[in-house]
Amino acid sequence: MNYAPAISGHVFEAISKNEPFPAEVHASLASEAHVLEIERFDLWYGKSRALHSITLSVPRGKVTALIGPSGCGKSTLLRSVNRMNDLIDSVRIEGEMRLNGDPIYAPGQDVIELRKRIGMVFQKPNPFPMSIFENVIYPLRIDGERDRRVLAEVCESSLRGAGLWDEVKDRLNDSALRLSGGQQQRLCIARAISAQPEVLLLDEPCSALDPIATARIEDLIEELKGNYSILMVTHNMQQASRSSDFTAFMYLGRLVEYGPTQDIFLQPHLKETEDYISGRFG
Amino acid sequence: MSESPRKEPVDKARRVTRRRSERRATSLLSHGEPMVWLTGGALAIASLMILGLLALVLWHGLPTFWPGPLVQVQTHAGRTLAGEVSVTERFAPEPSVVEALPEGVRAAARSELERGEGRTRRRMLRTGNYELSGSHFNWVSDLEIASESEPEWLVLVERLSWGRFYGTPRAITIDGARTEGEPGVLWARFEEHHDEVRARWERRRELEVVEIGEVNHRMEAARLRVRAAELASGVDSDEARAARGESQRVATAAEEDFRSLQAQIATLREQNARYTLELETADGARATLALEEVVRAFAPNRLGTAARLGVYVDRTLEFLVDEPREANSEGGVFPAIFGTVLMTLIMAVLVVPFGVLAALYLREYARPGPIVSAVRIAINNLAGVPSIVFGVFGLGFFCYIVGVQVDELLFAAKLPTPTYGKGGLVWASLTLALLTLPVVIVPTEEALSSVPSSMREGSYACGATKWQTIWRIVLPRAMPGIMTGMILALARGAGEVAPLMLVGAVKLAPELPLDATAPFLHAERSFMHLGFHIYDLGFQSQNSEAAKPMVYTTTLLLIALVVTLNLLAIWIRARLRRRFQGNQL
Ligand SMILES: Nc1ncnc2c1ncn2[C@@H]1O[C@H](COP(=O)(O)OP(=O)(O)O)[C@@H](O)[C@H]1O
Ligand SMILES: [Mg+2]
Repeated sequence: MNYAPAISGHVFEAISKNEPFPAEVHASLASEAHVLEIERFDLWYGKSRALHSITLSVPRGKVTALIGPSGCGKSTLLRSVNRMNDLIDSVRIEGEMRLNGDPIYAPGQDVIELRKRIGMVFQKPNPFPMSIFENVIYPLRIDGERDRRVLAEVCESSLRGAGLWDEVKDRLNDSALRLSGGQQQRLCIARAISAQPEVLLLDEPCSALDPIATARIEDLIEELKGNYSILMVTHNMQQASRSSDFTAFMYLGRLVEYGPTQDIFLQPHLKETEDYISGRFG
Repeated sequence: MSESPRKEPVDKARRVTRRRSERRATSLLSHGEPMVWLTGGALAIASLMILGLLALVLWHGLPTFWPGPLVQVQTHAGRTLAGEVSVTERFAPEPSVVEALPEGVRAAARSELERGEGRTRRRMLRTGNYELSGSHFNWVSDLEIASESEPEWLVLVERLSWGRFYGTPRAITIDGARTEGEPGVLWARFEEHHDEVRARWERRRELEVVEIGEVNHRMEAARLRVRAAELASGVDSDEARAARGESQRVATAAEEDFRSLQAQIATLREQNARYTLELETADGARATLALEEVVRAFAPNRLGTAARLGVYVDRTLEFLVDEPREANSEGGVFPAIFGTVLMTLIMAVLVVPFGVLAALYLREYARPGPIVSAVRIAINNLAGVPSIVFGVFGLGFFCYIVGVQVDELLFAAKLPTPTYGKGGLVWASLTLALLTLPVVIVPTEEALSSVPSSMREGSYACGATKWQTIWRIVLPRAMPGIMTGMILALARGAGEVAPLMLVGAVKLAPELPLDATAPFLHAERSFMHLGFHIYDLGFQSQNSEAAKPMVYTTTLLLIALVVTLNLLAIWIRARLRRRFQGNQL
């Protein structure tokens, strides 16, 4: 390959000196409509800083993958979007995030209402100890929806959306805990999309699953693309390259490079990114 | 970063090398073999003790109602005794016992003693006939016995008072007509008429207890209305005067009802008085028993196994569904069963929600720290407070402070007779609820903390509030643990006696705490309790020898009751658990 990264080496140097540096954001991102905008976002767990001035915009209707070595702050960033970090006492933040222009960290923001606009799927499937049906419509239940017709309809469409309907349509009243791991994860996706979220956060949704279940989830993400704006953490390079439209590479709490997935994987601007993707560190 | 394994060779030189021990085999101790024996032994001893206790209770409790044969013995001294063998044991008689025997049998007695190494058998006969003999039981040693038989027509009579009677039927009076004759003939007559006499007696009881009770209740209610009106608007007010007039009218009407009931009762009494049974005791005395006093009578020596089984079942049923008589040592324990179950259930209804709420606050809301730890330790230690202390607290606080306040506010008309200002069902349940609180809180807290945090996070991420998460995710998931707490509380509460003696359990309660008169559940009433019943039978009874088998039988019943309540709860818990089983990753 005769392609050479434009700049190299300045990232590690800046990090070691603890200096800020601008993330390498590809120009093509500017033409996208953004569902979520993160601006100069910092986060501390007590005294230790987990996120350093992250500025990143998530395009609407596309899949954006967050990659980076373990512990670089991907989950932290994701959990900041729906303010799950509020549950941890020691967390302190600075900076801004906007969901469809609505400031997430504004003082008067109703966190409960905010979370209802954001769907989240965790690393480990976490179905609730109730029936499949009740699991899927949980967001509606807590919203006070009583109409059985609405509930049944949402349940079906969400399960269809998550590609689980055919497998469970005859046993909606069975315990969700009796499903297989892959089914449980798709159930969690159905639960996340049943509230028609404005953005869907997936935190390594396949890392606890076997290859076949993983493949099914990847297919599912493919299908969800377009209808949902997805921000997805993944550990798996192939997954990122297959499923996503855009990829952001994070390292030690910083955003390093962000651009269309093809560019990031085939002609990254930074040498660090190339090294990481080709498995030279991480 | 994979560094440590590869660095090892470098460090090796500096390390003190440790040689493996010379011993060939791993020692027995480190294999753990002795530990297996130790732990297994501990379990075996524990289960043996429990099984032993159960076996003891079963051994003594189950045969209580079995009708054994009646024996009649003639002693050398010329006494005749008849009755049921209730205890058999070996003893060493004083030499004077042998001396007292007539000359002819002394040698035989001595050789008998020699063979038994100085010991011989003696039996305790339940001879009954208390009004004639002044004792219920008599010891008789084998040395004294000249002859022994099992007379066919010796009849056992269980009656309403004076304990059992043993004798041979000699005459029967049916509707005033006296017949003498063969026991067999008389017995046929007895069986023919006994049921109708008993039916009349039961009707009379009903009139006396229920209907007269109802009349009294009406008069009392009217009197209370007068008192309430006087208290509310003064003695000379119009209201009070109206109430007095009304009360007068009620009293007049009641008086009339009362007289008519009395007349009916007198008629029934007169009718029954014309039925009697004359029996001859073993020592030749005669006694006349009123037929209505006879609860059950049969000739045990004539009965085959099936008939004995019939008596056994009949007695067991009486035990379960009837009221006690003879200072609780005979008859049934139904009020005690009822009181125990009701009190335990009310206790569970009080303690479970209360304990769960407390555990929820401790686990979900309180910020962990020294105060929370101190509270937790305090709760755990509450379980170690002697239960009688809870009884004292219940009496002092619930009965005398809360109860007295309730009386002054709501039942002023009845004062100075206390309504809630004394021991009662509700105070007993509350006291036991307090006692069992730690037993509920501890497993509940454990169950709450074992709910995976991933489930809570999932719920929060869906936009659920803290309470919604607790209500919809945490509590259902913790339900089996909460049920465990409830099971422990049930077992603990149902078997507790000491505090109950202070806050409402009584030897004999005139009324059940649940009946058909409003407000149906009379939480202020004192009640009977199986545990207290056992204590009362075993330690307070006049006729303790007769009560002893009943102690075991009642214990057996209490254990069965606790086990039943527990099995019910365990069954519910198993059903709940099944909902949460599955592929947990
Ligand atoms: N609850 C927490 N308290 C303190 N530090 C945390 C907490 N969660 C994560 N961290 C730290 O924040 C950094 C980023 O973690 P995380 O976002 O989980 O990384 P990733 O998901 O990229 O593997 C790590 O150094 C981690 O140790
Ligand atoms: Mg992570």
